[in-house]
Amino acid sequence: MSVMQNNSEKSKWYLPGVLGGLSITMKHLLKNLFNQKKMMTLNYPEEKYEYSPRFKGNHVLTVKKDGSLRCTACMLCATNCPAECIKITAAEHNDPSVEKYPISYEIDILRCVFCGFCEEACPVDAIRLGPEWQTPAVNGANFIYDINYLAYRPNLKGGIQTHVDDEERNKAGI
Amino acid sequence: MPKCTINGKEVEVKEGTSIIEAMQQSGDRIAHYCWHPGLSVAGVCRLCMVEIEGNPRVQIACNTMVTEGMKINNTSEKVRDAVKWGLDFHLINHPLDCPICDQAGECGLQDQYMEYGKYDPEMAEHKQKKHKVVDLGPTVVLDSERCILCSRCVRFTEEVSKTNELGLFNRGDRTEIGTHDGMPLDNKYSLNTVDICPVGALTSKDFRFRQRVWYLKDAETICNGCSTGCNVKVYYNKEGFFRVKPVYNEKVNGYWMCDEGRDIYKFVNREHRLLKAQVRNASGWTEMTAGAAAKNASEVLKNTSGDSLALVLTAQYTVEEFDAIVSTFVNEFKTKKVFFWINNKETFDSFDGLLLRGDKNPNTKGLLKVLEKHGITATWADLSQGIASGSIKTVVVAGPENQVVFPDFAERVKELSKAHNLIWLQAGKNDALMALAGNVWLIPTKTFVEKDGTFINQAGLEQKFKKVTTVVSEALTLTEAALLLAGKNLAIPTTAQPFMPTNQRADQVELEARKKNEFVFRRGSL
Repeated sequence: MSVMQNNSEKSKWYLPGVLGGLSITMKHLLKNLFNQKKMMTLNYPEEKYEYSPRFKGNHVLTVKKDGSLRCTACMLCATNCPAECIKITAAEHNDPSVEKYPISYEIDILRCVFCGFCEEACPVDAIRLGPEWQTPAVNGANFIYDINYLAYRPNLKGGIQTHVDDEERNKAGI
Repeated sequence: MPKCTINGKEVEVKEGTSIIEAMQQSGDRIAHYCWHPGLSVAGVCRLCMVEIEGNPRVQIACNTMVTEGMKINNTSEKVRDAVKWGLDFHLINHPLDCPICDQAGECGLQDQYMEYGKYDPEMAEHKQKKHKVVDLGPTVVLDSERCILCSRCVRFTEEVSKTNELGLFNRGDRTEIGTHDGMPLDNKYSLNTVDICPVGALTSKDFRFRQRVWYLKDAETICNGCSTGCNVKVYYNKEGFFRVKPVYNEKVNGYWMCDEGRDIYKFVNREHRLLKAQVRNASGWTEMTAGAAAKNASEVLKNTSGDSLALVLTAQYTVEEFDAIVSTFVNEFKTKKVFFWINNKETFDSFDGLLLRGDKNPNTKGLLKVLEKHGITATWADLSQGIASGSIKTVVVAGPENQVVFPDFAERVKELSKAHNLIWLQAGKNDALMALAGNVWLIPTKTFVEKDGTFINQAGLEQKFKKVTTVVSEALTLTEAALLLAGKNLAIPTTAQPFMPTNQRADQVELEARKKNEFVFRRGSL
């Protein structure tokens, strides 16, 4: 390994550089002291930065107008997932107009690469990557998001609705 | 023998062959929904369109016979156009149910749409709504919206099962498949209608929503549900086996199989299997690996004389296994007390005229052949007498894999449990066995999908089958069990790696493979 050495005349004049740096630090210190609202940093756990709604963060399972799950358990997301982190178990629904629905939908978030393929594969807009980006957890089990968390976690305030609805589609004869 | 030209290829066919059959013979692809080789020709789906030289219009291939010198073509622009519009009509009322539909992945309409369709629908009309989840009977669910009215299922109940439950009702685009008033689709072959349905209109209640078909691998084997020995395909993945479908074999089952046979995948799955050997002595049950339990049992067999040792066989194992275990008993233990456990003697010879037979063992002929070869004539009465009088002290039983067809299982267990030592080779779990007292060795065996072998069916036809996969890895075949019980050791054949250079680690990545990966990786970043 070679070490680059700069032995030019100019490099002996280091003091102005040091002082220049110090003055920048001083400038920021004074600015932040007298104008705290414009400070560039956040006190993280209390204050959180929010990305735009287009940010691809934690998954959300959307719901219909009546609050039930939109997912039909077609497994396209699970098939398309390159990390193979989605696990779905389908079952027969009592309502014949629904027919098939997932009784369990699990995402192993530690395997997930947030590629968004699940979102793209979904034919019914049932899974989306939401703007939430924090994924802390206490133990391993917390990193497996179950159906309840994906669709009805408190931040979603009762679930996210899609703009298309089955009943409307049925009435329109689509 | 008329000769014809199909897509430029010359084909010679039998007299009276339809064009569609000739095309299958020549290997040309042609769409067909209503035509099925095992059923009569209906000609209602209008998708097997072909152009015949000299004819101004396209024609259906299923109902046109080949004549001498016919020039047939199904790749021309005219045919493609006809098929495209035919498909458009099929899809007018077909719902976009693919996410829910069980047929997705093996659906004729999907395949056809990918090849000829991919158009914008030009219908301004609303789709015709029909009945969605219709309970047709104990095994089948109908979705009449998805039905394209090919009438295969109707013709099946008319021509093959001859039960006539299904019919087409109403007219025009309101036509629906249904059962005649108050008559459920309930016959012993009803699930064949699900197989032949080209779309997902008829789905099996058993398989419904359990697994998407693209997650399943398939393998051919022989059904061990009864002595007919139908050729079947089992569908499985790492979670277990999910369904069974028939494979065409003219000599045995044609295109069909019975509903009972479709349940044979159930006893193979882990949840119904004996996973570990259970050994019971005075101090209670102990769990062991299968091999250790067999070795343990061999200690007992070593000290028993041939006269007090008996072997009971059910006809659900392969010929090779029977041969191995019977010859071990005859040659090593010097006993000819080998007994054939017959499950339902009264109905043994019954036959329903199509496929189902009363003998629910796949290999009765095979077992009898092996017994004859070794000159064994012992009857069950000898065994009962021997156990009752105490002359038979140790009994080795190769129990049935398919316990459902052994209604007398618990009784026989009770009868055999009077023996001093009971060594029971069994694939599935059973409560009657776990309730036994005394000296018992319960050793797990492999099922028919986990081993190679031969079954001889009722007609004396020898059918070989290959191993599909392993469900319970430590379970033994009867051949292995016979070796271990005789006190010998199992030699595990080492698989040489024929294509591996000697100076290379087994897991070493080759430079070529690495280069290839880098290329893919870089290409992704462009």
